[in-house]
This record gives sequence, C-alpha cells and structure tokens, in this order.
Amino acid sequence: MAATSEPPALLPGTVEVEETSSKSSLEPGYLVICWNDPVNLMPYVTHVFQKVFGWGRQKAEFHMLQVHERGSSLLTRESLEKAEHYVHQLQQYHLHATMERDE
Amino acid sequence: MKLLSRDAEKTVFQMGKREKRQFLQVLGLYPRIPTAHYTISRDRSLPGFEESQRLLDEAIAELRAENQRRLKEFLAEPGRFSEGAGLIALAIPAASLEWLLQILNDVRVGSWVAVGSPMGSILGVLSAKTAPDIWAMEVAGYFEACLLEAITGENPHG
Repeated sequence: MAATSEPPALLPGTVEVEETSSKSSLEPGYLVICWNDPVNLMPYVTHVFQKVFGWGRQKAEFHMLQVHERGSSLLTRESLEKAEHYVHQLQQYHLHATMERDE
Repeated sequence: MKLLSRDAEKTVFQMGKREKRQFLQVLGLYPRIPTAHYTISRDRSLPGFEESQRLLDEAIAELRAENQRRLKEFLAEPGRFSEGAGLIALAIPAASLEWLLQILNDVRVGSWVAVGSPMGSILGVLSAKTAPDIWAMEVAGYFEACLLEAITGENPHG
C-alpha cells in the first residue's frame, strides 16, 4: 500500500454533513391520510385498511372510525415512494386518500 | 342476493332474475369515477407533485383498461350464471372477489360524484335527473355489502 505525504482532509472522528433544506425522498417525511366521505361503506373501509396495510381488524376499525368521526385519519408516515405506493393502493379501492408533507 | 357456498376456489351466490338484471346494469356502468377525481395530494406545492400525479393518472388509466377487459371476460365466462327453477346461481372465483368489490365501489363512488358529491344525505339531492345515479349508487352498495359479507363472514346490513 502506497503512503501519502498529504495531510488528511478531515480530523479523525469528524464527519462532514451536508445540510439540506428539504427532506430526502427516503426519509419518512410523508403522511398517508384518509379523508371522510359519506359514500364508502364503513365495513368496506375497514376491509380495505386490512388488505392494504395488513392490519388486524381492531386497528383497521380504529382508523375507520377516526375517518368517520374526525374527518380524517393519519394512516402511516413513510418515505415518498412508500407513501405514493399506499395512496395508489387506497385509490385503487376508491378511498379518498392523499399523501401530505410531515411539516 | 344470498350466499350459497364458499370454498377455496369459488363463492356462489343465489339471486333472482331481477337481481341478475340489476347486477349486470350496475357493472355495465363501469368505470364511473371521473379521472380528475384522483388526486395524489391536497398540497400542490408538494415536491414532485406533478410527477407523482402523472404516475397516479397512468396507474389508474392502466388499471381501468385492464378492469374493462377483465370484466368482459368475467361476464362472458361459461358457467358464470347457472339458472334453474326461477333462481340463478352466480359463481365468483376466489381470485375475483376482491377485484369485483373494487369494480362495484367504482360505480358506487362514481355515481355519488355524478350527483355532486353531497356530504349530507343523498335524499337531499334526489330529483328526476339524479334518480338513476342514486339508484346505481344504492344498488352497487347492496351488491358490495353482499360480497363483503361473504369475504368477512359478517353482515354489513346490520
């Protein structure tokens, strides 16, 4: 291994971190939200949450009731790609779901 | 429509002639939801909003084309409906149950959108003009509830 006479650019134990103003698409900075509407049947919404997220009946029902009673429910916090995936899945079932930034 | 049997391969429902006619009428309305109904986010300033919306629009367009093709095949399949003694048996393969639920819900939600997406009682917008849409919404919901009952083993009618 060849030796170098140049000094190291950084001191041992220090790491240069580049600051960014916005969150990376890989960070869980996106919220998947389901909004209330009066048309999707309550058992249907519960069923869709179970299918899309693999949740048990109790958790799916909890979120369905939040949608119904509060007008919306935060379903999960994900990276951009995963949030997009879930919104696509939920919209395939015609639920009113969107992804929003986690401010 | 009544659940007759369910096994790993298929679910069989019993229906009357009138129910079969209504079932076909409702499925004939697919797709009902306007494409502009699908929005990836409420925040149009979301980084990459345009691209994300484009991806969603493409995914929905592909899905609809595939669903329309599959629906034609589903209804034309020999043995889908078998008739006898004034009653009809509708056989749905296990792999199609979830898909059919989505098709019916498209008609239900799309019919609701067609009458102006009312957030209150649907009866508040009932008129001679909206009656066919409200009929489609309610009938699609009825068949959805029957499928949900078969899938979950619970009666959504209460």
